[in-house]
Amino acid sequence: MAKKDLILRLGGEGGEGVISTGDFITSACAKAGLEVYTFKTFPAEVKGGYAMYQVRTSPDRIYNQGDTFDVLCAFNGEAFEVNKHLLKPGTAVVYDYPGGDFEPGELPEGVFGYAIPMTKTAKDMKSLRSKNMVALGALSAIFNISEESLKKVLTKKFQKKGEEILNFNLAAFDKGKELGLQHQKTDPWRVADPQGEKDVIIISGNEAVGMGALLGGLEFFAAYPITPATEVAKYVATHIPKLGGTLFQAEDEIASISMVVGGSYAGKRSMTSTSGPGLSLMSEMLGMASMSETPVMVVDVQRGGPATGLPTKHEQSDLFLAIHGTHGDAPRVVLSVEDVKDCIDMAVDALNIADELQVPVILLSDGSLAFSTQTVPAPKPENYTIVRRKEWDGQGTYQRYAMTEDLVSPMCAPGTPNGMHMATGLEHSESGAPKYSPDNHEMMQRKRFGKIKNVVNTYKPTEIDGEGEADLGIIAWGSTIGVVREAIGRLREEGYKVKGFYPKLMWPMPTEQYEAFAKTCKKILLPEVNFQGQLAHFVRAETTIRPISYTICGGFPFNPVQIVAKAKEVI
Amino acid sequence: MSGAAALHQVQMEPKEYKSEVSVVWCPGCGHHGILNGLYRALAEAGIDPTKLVNISGIGCSSRTPYFIKSYKMHTLHGRAGAVATGVQMARPDLAVVVTGGDGDGFAIGGGHMPHMARKNVNMTYVLFDNGIYGLTKGQYSPTSRPEMKGYTTPYGGPEDPMNPLMYMLTYGATYVAQAFAGKPKLCAELIKGALEHKGFAYVNIFSQCPSFNYLDTVEFYRDLVFEIPADHDPTDMTKAIALARRPNGKAPIGLLYTENKPTLDERVAEFVTRVGGGPDYDINKIINLSRP
Ligand SMILES: Cc1ncc(C[n+]2csc(CCOP(=O)(O)OP(=O)(O)O)c2C)c(N)n1
Ligand SMILES: [Mg+2]
Repeated sequence: MAKKDLILRLGGEGGEGVISTGDFITSACAKAGLEVYTFKTFPAEVKGGYAMYQVRTSPDRIYNQGDTFDVLCAFNGEAFEVNKHLLKPGTAVVYDYPGGDFEPGELPEGVFGYAIPMTKTAKDMKSLRSKNMVALGALSAIFNISEESLKKVLTKKFQKKGEEILNFNLAAFDKGKELGLQHQKTDPWRVADPQGEKDVIIISGNEAVGMGALLGGLEFFAAYPITPATEVAKYVATHIPKLGGTLFQAEDEIASISMVVGGSYAGKRSMTSTSGPGLSLMSEMLGMASMSETPVMVVDVQRGGPATGLPTKHEQSDLFLAIHGTHGDAPRVVLSVEDVKDCIDMAVDALNIADELQVPVILLSDGSLAFSTQTVPAPKPENYTIVRRKEWDGQGTYQRYAMTEDLVSPMCAPGTPNGMHMATGLEHSESGAPKYSPDNHEMMQRKRFGKIKNVVNTYKPTEIDGEGEADLGIIAWGSTIGVVREAIGRLREEGYKVKGFYPKLMWPMPTEQYEAFAKTCKKILLPEVNFQGQLAHFVRAETTIRPISYTICGGFPFNPVQIVAKAKEVI
Repeated sequence: MSGAAALHQVQMEPKEYKSEVSVVWCPGCGHHGILNGLYRALAEAGIDPTKLVNISGIGCSSRTPYFIKSYKMHTLHGRAGAVATGVQMARPDLAVVVTGGDGDGFAIGGGHMPHMARKNVNMTYVLFDNGIYGLTKGQYSPTSRPEMKGYTTPYGGPEDPMNPLMYMLTYGATYVAQAFAGKPKLCAELIKGALEHKGFAYVNIFSQCPSFNYLDTVEFYRDLVFEIPADHDPTDMTKAIALARRPNGKAPIGLLYTENKPTLDERVAEFVTRVGGGPDYDINKIINLSRP
């Protein structure tokens, strides 16, 4: 199969325009009707440090960030050095030379090199800040990034700042283009031709969670900042006032989850967002929410741990915490997203399930999705169903924890006549009055756990990738799913019989679906980005499956090649 | 407190605010007096019980909501204030009251106190200050005196107590008062003032714990307190601080300080106005911002 996609990596010092250049290319490709999947790493430092922005684009659907780059654009010596080992025969590199901060020396054999004097040209134009525009112009010329789309994007961005600034940037772009055109094109890499504008949005995982929450009828959000989750709150903070909702910042995560529990008790659809360290602080209140049957939604954008760990890096290591992190026995529902589209759709699901079952719902995302921007069909608000909590009908005496057929008791918000009641973390009778008898505690535990059991049947069934019998089944969760999809495609092309199983409902576990899948596979491989093999642990505990656990935890997601290699090794 | 919608709405007798749950505190506990003051204050402020939300954490004092006719939530140790902030911000039309202890509010919940005060969250916080952890049977609290030999301080306490009034004044509470459980009428008057105040209202109430705090007896408190003179100007922060510092070692009872300033919910609601927000806003306009 001819490779239709192109992976372009930009590297340079944070603050030098690497990120904005990447954003311009991303928007331009999306505008040209191409699919885009970006991947970024930031330095933990506030200023400076090495920043990387990788754009993968194709006319076809893209599932992950790819193995490595086809084209590197090195804004400085550090970016060149960091990526030098990846300059394999056939790759191309555009670099700042002459006049930059380094001498690349001789390029590795078979690598296509394009020296572009980015810094020097910018200096000649008397504005170092135009360096990234020069680079952008050169990249556009050499790799067929639609000039028309790029200029539209630049115009949209800079017009606000005045005609003069816009024209200056366009001039720098043209200079870069000229420099690019001076080179004889020798490499095969080019961005696919424009496909015509599509009805898409281009959005990051974190923004998508915020957008999904708003589509899901969110009314109340209390926030505490933490990388890599903060943009969820930023997005919601910007837009929720437009919809008449409320967001404010709490003093810590214990407070933010407490406020959300209060907001939900008061009758509003409520959520908060955090990362692992914040989720740990929330664990006691999550137990309280389970016990008091208060609907709350928490997004956990996972990062490297433990403690401050690798704060800006990727990991999927909060599954233990998300599923069981609290005191006593306390039920909750845990969902996990695969990609940016899921961030939108499953934020709605999470809010719905929280309200429907009156439980805490934790939606897991991760560090690489947080900042990954992807093209997604523009969501249509009318396509989302909003399920609201069961409300008391005002008949008879109100019992907050009334036993019902589906074990979910009607709620009644403050202000409702005759509905006064106690919502409590103390064990209680149906009315909410304290009651500690052994029988009552067991009955109430059965109620609280019983009401969430059926989610495994009502939530969308776990997707199975492939049919019939296979030599290897791969179970993957979170953003690893996209990597596995591509790896499976490649393995099939090579004649291997492989299938995939992609759970999104992590807890309660749809164990029958796991078992049914495993029956069709000779072996099960379970790759995940954490040290302990957390999902593998639950699979062993909850099913008869004995997966081969494959874990990495270096702060980066898997690449398809890694999965392909491992699959071949274990098959 | 808050919500004009909840205030001066009904005419009820204090006893009509009693719930059907019987009070569980020890005989002689100061909390009884505070509860009576609360019933009276609620009646005098004409609070509609349907629009009243009483939130508590954990402790003897945190049992209070069970005894009051209202909507209520019994939460976690130290978290009542944060949960109450959520209730109030979600529903500014309600009257929100926290009832809790010195351990609950200033030890485990101490991280939330400054922020409720500073942000001027529109609610009433009644702190039952018995200088002890009552529910867990007599350990040293942030307001215990060092002389006190408690369950885990057999040789006395190695620390000085905090001063709740100084704390609240410094962090910007907009209504700061102190009372003593032995004077339920004063309790009622000050809590009523707190309920009527727009903004974060804090009422510290000394409460004897005859079961575990053998030092801070009714007699001790009677000796300790003095009524704030009628000519005190409660808008004068400097004078309020002078009182809070316990002149001549005596603790003031009465209203120390009050100030009128915008509340957190008012300021957040302003954002909605600023962006022209409301229920008819077309969400597609937000989605369209993410088009390439
Ligand atoms: C997280 C947590 N830590 C400790 C406790 C145990 N505990 C319950 S009440 C309490 C102290 C209560 O003292 P105070 O708030 O002063 O209330 P009082 O009983 O004196 O009215 C403690 C330590 C708990 N319930 N939760
Ligand atoms: Mg106490």
